[in-house]
Amino acid sequence: MTETLLKVENLRIELDLRSGPAPVIDDLSLELKAGETLSFVGESGCGKSMTALAIMGLLPEKVGSIAAGRILFQGADMALMKDADLRDIRGNEISMIFQEPMTSLNPVYTVGEQIAEVLRRHKGMNHADAWKRATELMDAVRIPNAKARVADYPHQMSGGQRQRVMIAIALACAPKILIADEPTTALDVTVQAQIFDLLRDLGRETGTAIILISHDMGVVAEMADRMVVMYAGRKAEEGPVDEVISHPRHPYTKGLISCVPHLLAELTEDRPDLTEVPGIVPSLDSFGTDACLFASRCLLADDRCRSKRPPEMSFGLQTSACWKADTL
Amino acid sequence: MTQVDEIPAKPRSPFSEAFEMFRRNHAAVVGLIVLLAIIIVAIVGPMVYPGDPFDMVWIPFSPPGTEGYFLGTDYLGRDLLSLLIHGAKVSLTVGLSAAFVTVTIGITVGALAGFYRGWVEEVLMRLTEFFQVLPTLLFSMVIVSLFGTSLWMITLAIGLVSWPAVARITRAEFMRIRELEYVTAARAGGVKNARLIFSVILPNALPPIIVQAALMVGSAILFEAGLSFLGLTDPNVASWGQIIGSNREYILDASFTVTVPGLAIFVTVLAISLVGDGLNDALNPKLRQR
Amino acid sequence: MTNALLTVENLSVRFPVKRRWGQTSWLYAVDDVSFEIKRGETLAIVGESGSGKTTAALGVARLVGNSGGFVNLDGEDFLALEGGALRRARAKVQVIFQDPYSSLNPRLRAEAIVREPMDSLGTLPRAERPDRVAELFKQVGLRPEQMKLFPHQFSGGQRQRIGIARALSTNPELIICDEAVSALDVAVQAQILNLLRRLQRDLGLTYLFISHDLGVVQHMSDHIAVMYMGKIVEYADRLSLFNDPRHPYTKALLSAVPSVDKKRKVERMLIPGDPPDPLNPPSGCRFASRCPLVEDACLAAQPPLKAVNGSHRAACIKA
Repeated sequence: MTETLLKVENLRIELDLRSGPAPVIDDLSLELKAGETLSFVGESGCGKSMTALAIMGLLPEKVGSIAAGRILFQGADMALMKDADLRDIRGNEISMIFQEPMTSLNPVYTVGEQIAEVLRRHKGMNHADAWKRATELMDAVRIPNAKARVADYPHQMSGGQRQRVMIAIALACAPKILIADEPTTALDVTVQAQIFDLLRDLGRETGTAIILISHDMGVVAEMADRMVVMYAGRKAEEGPVDEVISHPRHPYTKGLISCVPHLLAELTEDRPDLTEVPGIVPSLDSFGTDACLFASRCLLADDRCRSKRPPEMSFGLQTSACWKADTL
Repeated sequence: MTQVDEIPAKPRSPFSEAFEMFRRNHAAVVGLIVLLAIIIVAIVGPMVYPGDPFDMVWIPFSPPGTEGYFLGTDYLGRDLLSLLIHGAKVSLTVGLSAAFVTVTIGITVGALAGFYRGWVEEVLMRLTEFFQVLPTLLFSMVIVSLFGTSLWMITLAIGLVSWPAVARITRAEFMRIRELEYVTAARAGGVKNARLIFSVILPNALPPIIVQAALMVGSAILFEAGLSFLGLTDPNVASWGQIIGSNREYILDASFTVTVPGLAIFVTVLAISLVGDGLNDALNPKLRQR
Repeated sequence: MTNALLTVENLSVRFPVKRRWGQTSWLYAVDDVSFEIKRGETLAIVGESGSGKTTAALGVARLVGNSGGFVNLDGEDFLALEGGALRRARAKVQVIFQDPYSSLNPRLRAEAIVREPMDSLGTLPRAERPDRVAELFKQVGLRPEQMKLFPHQFSGGQRQRIGIARALSTNPELIICDEAVSALDVAVQAQILNLLRRLQRDLGLTYLFISHDLGVVQHMSDHIAVMYMGKIVEYADRLSLFNDPRHPYTKALLSAVPSVDKKRKVERMLIPGDPPDPLNPPSGCRFASRCPLVEDACLAAQPPLKAVNGSHRAACIKA
């Protein structure tokens, strides 16, 4: 059994609405082990990015706050840590890359300076060492001619290269956890493939655990070991990727997989309509209610689903929060 | 096909949402009330308050309160309150008309430049720059001294020196909006250019222009006051600026003759600024979320 | 071929680019492209950003840039039309846009948005327009009471339905779907794709389907054109393209798509680097700088799009 790096226990994050607080994350628990790749999957607004920001301690203050539960990093409760300690963890032990490589780099500094700055801050390196290490990191993220490109400004690089620089910054301090929030959504598919190959190889080399946030089941299938399917701020299903995809235990997971036209090994003339998950995600007002929030879109829903929140049920390594999970 | 999402109780137009946002800005609401009060005084006042403001009714420089003259009299012994009430109409008219001239020229130039681009834009923007680099006070003084000091000439002069700002804002908005997909959709739907400019793009470009226009009213009032102070004004009408200008030599002996109309200008411009600020928030869709 | 609704020959779409000293040079976003679509079928153009796929489609409809070449839409020489004639001809080709937020005028009610093309083109007597709007709302799965609402009161998927209703309002022959589902969440995307397919069956529509998502393209199209740097590099029917891709760029593209199908284990074909500068395209094959199979002949001249297997065409000397 490998070490548990991160443990989220019964996390509840509330958003202040005019009508009162709404739980955008509701009773979420999960674990991340050293070296594994865990994926958060769901539609926009399901809370996957919010969870990541909470783990980073970067919840926008005016928007949401942790109302209950704990986030334990190597056994220490992050909510009780001092700001200085948190800053020490952020970017050093846990780091993050974002969706938009165009805006997450500062346009007035060279990419080399931006990588070196992290090394100086967290590792106390001097200028020359940090610059040398920055060049090595650029090489490690496979930017051709790293020695010359290290002095480039962000606008001189393509989107894919900028995302590589972001990865270099994120990995500069050899973090234990890397959170990647839809890192390739803004990129072309051939560039996406390169970025994922890079992340996978680097993860393997450095033993960094990766939390990959994605809406694309194909990406999750290729990249992750385990996945957490989220819906309306709650965990719908969790388990090893292969098992969840071959045998989903929650109707939402099932819908997410079958509503996308995937590329198949052998294409045939046959083209049935896609499975529809009707409707849309419920509005925030209904988030706290004691019911299955997916019931309004679920073809299997009955009165119990609409009046009682389903508990998490285990099936081996898989868990599902559905009243009918055992029949699926 | 099932649609589970609820629809709002009543269709709310962007306008009613903006009104709601405006109402929540208390300073702006106060500004609006003050402004409305001033407008009512300007319209109703001359009818209710008797007498020609230019009549010399009492001893010059009588302090406020003397003999039923609530605000006292000026250097010619004219009733200050009467001057102020009549002046309200003149100052507001100048402010509003100058803003109207500004917006009309500014929108036309900005819209054509932003919509057609190319040489049209080149020509119009050089023209805009020309008017922008002119020293505004000097230029308007030249116009007024050449073509006479009638109120209309003053209004026109103020409008002529102020439109470049509106033209620039309009052009920037047009350039942004013409690339949006709903404009392309309208073109695909065969909408003519004139309709594209005035019915599709312009309404969406209006919010920042309206704000600019509101602020323009205030600065036009100030501008007119400035010209009047320098004596470049129609001696036959009593604007607030003119009251200050004509009494300026006696500021040390009878300061109330200058401070009272000065206060009127200050309150009016402040009220207009507050309203403009409120409009800015109310019409900015980014601030409207939640 | 006689039953082609749209025939495009040697289409080029160029944009003026300002250089220093007031010089203007031209950027060819689409360079010498030919294709055709049969009535009732779907042609998909796929490619990555900068490939010119959207420009090719909107260029056909005379909505972007300067189009050159020959476009025959339903027997009419579309590029030769000017002024009023062009405006009237626009009824025949409508567009469904990518962004459900910026594609609807925020100042108009949903019914006015759907009505706009009818009003400006006068395709229907005024008295019949309200009924037609109501019918269109029903066709795209919106409720009649939603006609009075403003765009911001709808969800992304519903907005896209309004966009579809607007596109249908002129009874167009051809509908260009420009990344029509890529801004939507996957569950909503499935709803819209099914709707588009149903409308095609019911109304006999012809689609020019622009997408970067090969899974979606595979599901929606009958024929596919793959574009790279303004040129079509491969053109084939659906089964032939996906089961037997010939151009190395198509192969790389397909191999890069992640899939849940465990059996689909294609060897990842990496194409390093970025496309060359579109203002100075290379004289040889435009893909040569990134191609793993490149040889001297590739750099010498541009390979033409030639038949490799029946109607399957590829622009590669090694195909």
